[in-house]
Amino acid sequence: MYLEPIRKRRSPGEDPSTRMRLAVLAVGVLLLFGVLVSRLWFLQILSGDEFTAQANNQRLRTVLVQAPRGVIYDRNLDPLVVNRAGLSVGILPMDLRSPEIVIPRLAAVLGIPEEDIRSKLDKAGQDKYRVVIIKEDVPENPVVSYLLEHSLEFPGVRVEKSYLREYPREALATHILGYVGEASTKDLEKEQFQTLKGGAVVGKDGVEAVYDSMLRGVDGTRTVEVDAAGVPKRMIQEIQPLPGSNLVLTIDNRLQAVAREALINAIKQARTDGFANSAAGVIVALDPRNGEVLAMTSHPDYDPSLWVGGISSEAYQALKDPQRHNPLFDRATKGLYPAASTFKPFVAATALRKNLIDWTQIYSDPGTFKRDGHVWRDWMPKGHGDVNLVEALAESCDVYFYNLGSKFYDQKGPVLQDGLREFGFGRRTGIDLPDEYAGQVPDSEWKKKNGKTDVDRIWKPGDDVNLAIGQGDLLVTPLQLAVAFAGIANGGDILVPRVARQITDSSGNVTKQFEAEVRSHVDFEAEDLDAIRRGLKMVTGDPTGTAYGAFRGFPIAVVGKTGTAEKKPGDDYAWFMGYAPANDPEILVVALIEQGGHGSSIAAPAVRKVLEAYFNTESSAPAQVDATE
Amino acid sequence: MSVLQRSRTSAGQGFSMRRYLANVDWILLVATMGLIGFGLAMIYSATHADPGLTTPTQYVRSQGLGLILGSLALIGLSLIDFSWFSRLGKYLYWVNVALLVLTLVIGSERMGARRWIALPFFDVQTSEIGKVLLIVALAAFLAEGVELRGSLRFVLKSVIYVALPIVLIFLQPDLGTALVFGAIFASMLLVWGARWPHLAILGGAAIGGMTLVLRVLPRTLGVELLKPYQTERLTVFLNPGQDTSGAAYQLTQSKIAVASGMFSGKGFMEGTQTHLNFLPAHHTDFIFSVIAEEFGFVGALVLLSLFLVVIWRAFRIAGSSKSLLGALIAAGVVGVLVFQVFVNVGMTLGIMPITGIPLPFVSFGSNSVMVFLILVGLLQSVHLHSRTALYGGRLKGDPYGQMAA
Repeated sequence: MYLEPIRKRRSPGEDPSTRMRLAVLAVGVLLLFGVLVSRLWFLQILSGDEFTAQANNQRLRTVLVQAPRGVIYDRNLDPLVVNRAGLSVGILPMDLRSPEIVIPRLAAVLGIPEEDIRSKLDKAGQDKYRVVIIKEDVPENPVVSYLLEHSLEFPGVRVEKSYLREYPREALATHILGYVGEASTKDLEKEQFQTLKGGAVVGKDGVEAVYDSMLRGVDGTRTVEVDAAGVPKRMIQEIQPLPGSNLVLTIDNRLQAVAREALINAIKQARTDGFANSAAGVIVALDPRNGEVLAMTSHPDYDPSLWVGGISSEAYQALKDPQRHNPLFDRATKGLYPAASTFKPFVAATALRKNLIDWTQIYSDPGTFKRDGHVWRDWMPKGHGDVNLVEALAESCDVYFYNLGSKFYDQKGPVLQDGLREFGFGRRTGIDLPDEYAGQVPDSEWKKKNGKTDVDRIWKPGDDVNLAIGQGDLLVTPLQLAVAFAGIANGGDILVPRVARQITDSSGNVTKQFEAEVRSHVDFEAEDLDAIRRGLKMVTGDPTGTAYGAFRGFPIAVVGKTGTAEKKPGDDYAWFMGYAPANDPEILVVALIEQGGHGSSIAAPAVRKVLEAYFNTESSAPAQVDATE
Repeated sequence: MSVLQRSRTSAGQGFSMRRYLANVDWILLVATMGLIGFGLAMIYSATHADPGLTTPTQYVRSQGLGLILGSLALIGLSLIDFSWFSRLGKYLYWVNVALLVLTLVIGSERMGARRWIALPFFDVQTSEIGKVLLIVALAAFLAEGVELRGSLRFVLKSVIYVALPIVLIFLQPDLGTALVFGAIFASMLLVWGARWPHLAILGGAAIGGMTLVLRVLPRTLGVELLKPYQTERLTVFLNPGQDTSGAAYQLTQSKIAVASGMFSGKGFMEGTQTHLNFLPAHHTDFIFSVIAEEFGFVGALVLLSLFLVVIWRAFRIAGSSKSLLGALIAAGVVGVLVFQVFVNVGMTLGIMPITGIPLPFVSFGSNSVMVFLILVGLLQSVHLHSRTALYGGRLKGDPYGQMAA
């Protein structure tokens, strides 16, 4: 055995230099451990809360549980918009590792450009812990099942259940319903959406937008614990969503369908009659007693399911394409047209109310009206001869109204305009639909502002003359005309038109009933109102009336007025407005066919179709109606 | 009891079990067992729910193999008088070199590095065994040259002596273990008694060389001695905010794990960072983060204290060694322990680079735990054979043991 002679040498422990070196090493060791302990102190004691929050942030996922949006019904509870369960694919930025691999992979599976995914992620901003929806309404087979089976290849990709809008009546009431979509950054700045987070679905147009807060409901949340790959491990907390309220509209689906078909057929008829540019139009039907809109259709329309799951940019462009007559555009509340002869009752009413004339006064129409060297022609070249107000309305005598316009000019000041504004022209009707247009009633102030030349800025007799037959710079919406005409039907009440009738909760109980709202009242002498109504009743009921042909054989008395508007360039616009029954009006219908030619032959038959459906009368309309005005 | 009785009968005639048991450094052993037990518990906590396990204790059992081999080696080594190594040293040095060369030639490649020699039941990481061989060989080399302590020439010779195995490890590549070898060398040179100016020159050269490799060469000449991932891992702790994937991700998750443990931890097997897999390599390199997450500041202090006990005993053994050889061996063990603890824990706390250095006794890895048990065996050998002669006649006095105590 080898043994060092231990007694002969000093132990290193005795060697002062080795002892010193060991001490130096020991001090170094203590220093290093001191560093570790202070770092631990800093992290665990001083920064513990902050890092605990970080740990919770990455392990806890709170996902929104979408509340089902309320159902939208017609007045008879026939559904127009319902919900359907769908799957959407989103990305949780927090879990998105190596996006340069995952994004192209996901784009390929979803069949969308990579750029779309990137821009959606960019738009979503800083909140890394919220799912950004990339594509809605993704088919379960094969896409979603593929994503779920290969979830490890798609870190950060999430599949979520969502409710999607479904339209059982397709394009029936597109413009009234509007559509829903993901709230944009701009939307989120609006006061009504302040409680919402990005990615929330909101109403974008129509009643979906106006009654959004009621339809939307309150989203629930589900908090789950996930592992590093984002795979849920256990449920931490769940708050159930509150479904949105249902909306019952004033619309009658049956009548709406008839109106829509009548409009489409009227446009077809116009094209057959040689008005090849005819492609668009409006029919509005409302209850003149309370302002409820019974039917309102604007052509062209489109199937709102185009929006479901996100509209493609081509489809969106097509909806806004002027070549396709802008199907997105609601002509009933936003379309601006010269009212033409349909304006005459309101001009007549104003003349009577301002005591310019009385209805019995006879005016002789030679076929032209002359003032200050200008000549205006009647639509009937030989003229209507001697007419009083009643006859002038029935036959739509232009010269009679040219004369009224001339008289109004001599009154100085906006006498005619003020009277027209009382009927609601030149201001929004206040209907519960977004972005309605006000139209315009031109007067001297308006010309001063809008005239292009010095001469143009002067209000001239011709301006009043043109206004008296609903031409010139006058612009009205079909809905405005309907509301104003309802004032004549109901004895002077200018109503706020409505498409919403009731709000009901998810069990169908009515939680809110919308009441008729009278915005203003136009006073009439009974005799005057009666004269106007008589003249307008003759329009459909008297052989001299301009719509006599269109309403021949119709069993219920209709009070109405034709109109043929000049809007250059292009062919004339065909108008008809009518209400029935004459003595106890229940329904009022306005029809406009852009570039459809004559009101009497194109618009009036369309209104008749709607009235026939409303009153359930046998269809007895003549196949072809001769054009008068 | 029977063991003691038998040892009594053999007293004075060679090996004495009684004297062996009476002179073993029990404090060192208990602290070691404490660390290993702590480690096993944390490995279980970190891995019991891993997918694909045949049994929840799979990793613990696997660690057990290294534990058994290491314990046997510990007992064996403690029975051998460390003085033998003064003659064996140079052979062990060449064994070390041969093993490292063999690794480069026939080693199995994993994740881009050749570090293992595959045996039927056990894969040997030669650089781990190399730590033991280097400590012993270098201690013999330096002890023999004790009279040349003032000579720069001899110091440089020792540098070259160490550089060969370091370069071989660097080639695997295994930067972390290469650095461990450097630390062993530094601590032994310090205790050996190299002159301060010489130590300063070597320290300066080490820092200069590191800067050259990490910064200057890549930026000026485009020479990349390190692979880009190595450079990233080494430097990411300086700028943790730079990216959120890879190395920086590991670092961030480890810091979150440690700090969210707060004062008393989230509880055994309750660490969310660990069990939801946010924390990478939670049973190997980042096991300290698991401890800090589940047992908090208190648990971390307990663990560091256990290390300090082991290190304190090593210092004590160095000081009471009957020869410089023993003191140098103990100093080498101190060097490897302190360096690995500091770099590993420092890494989990975001103050040291990511080098893949395991936490001694605690990290999962049969080779690592076995080698540290062998190192404890070396310490016990120095301890036992400086206090008493276990073989042959009984020593009358026990001056060095007295002095150290």
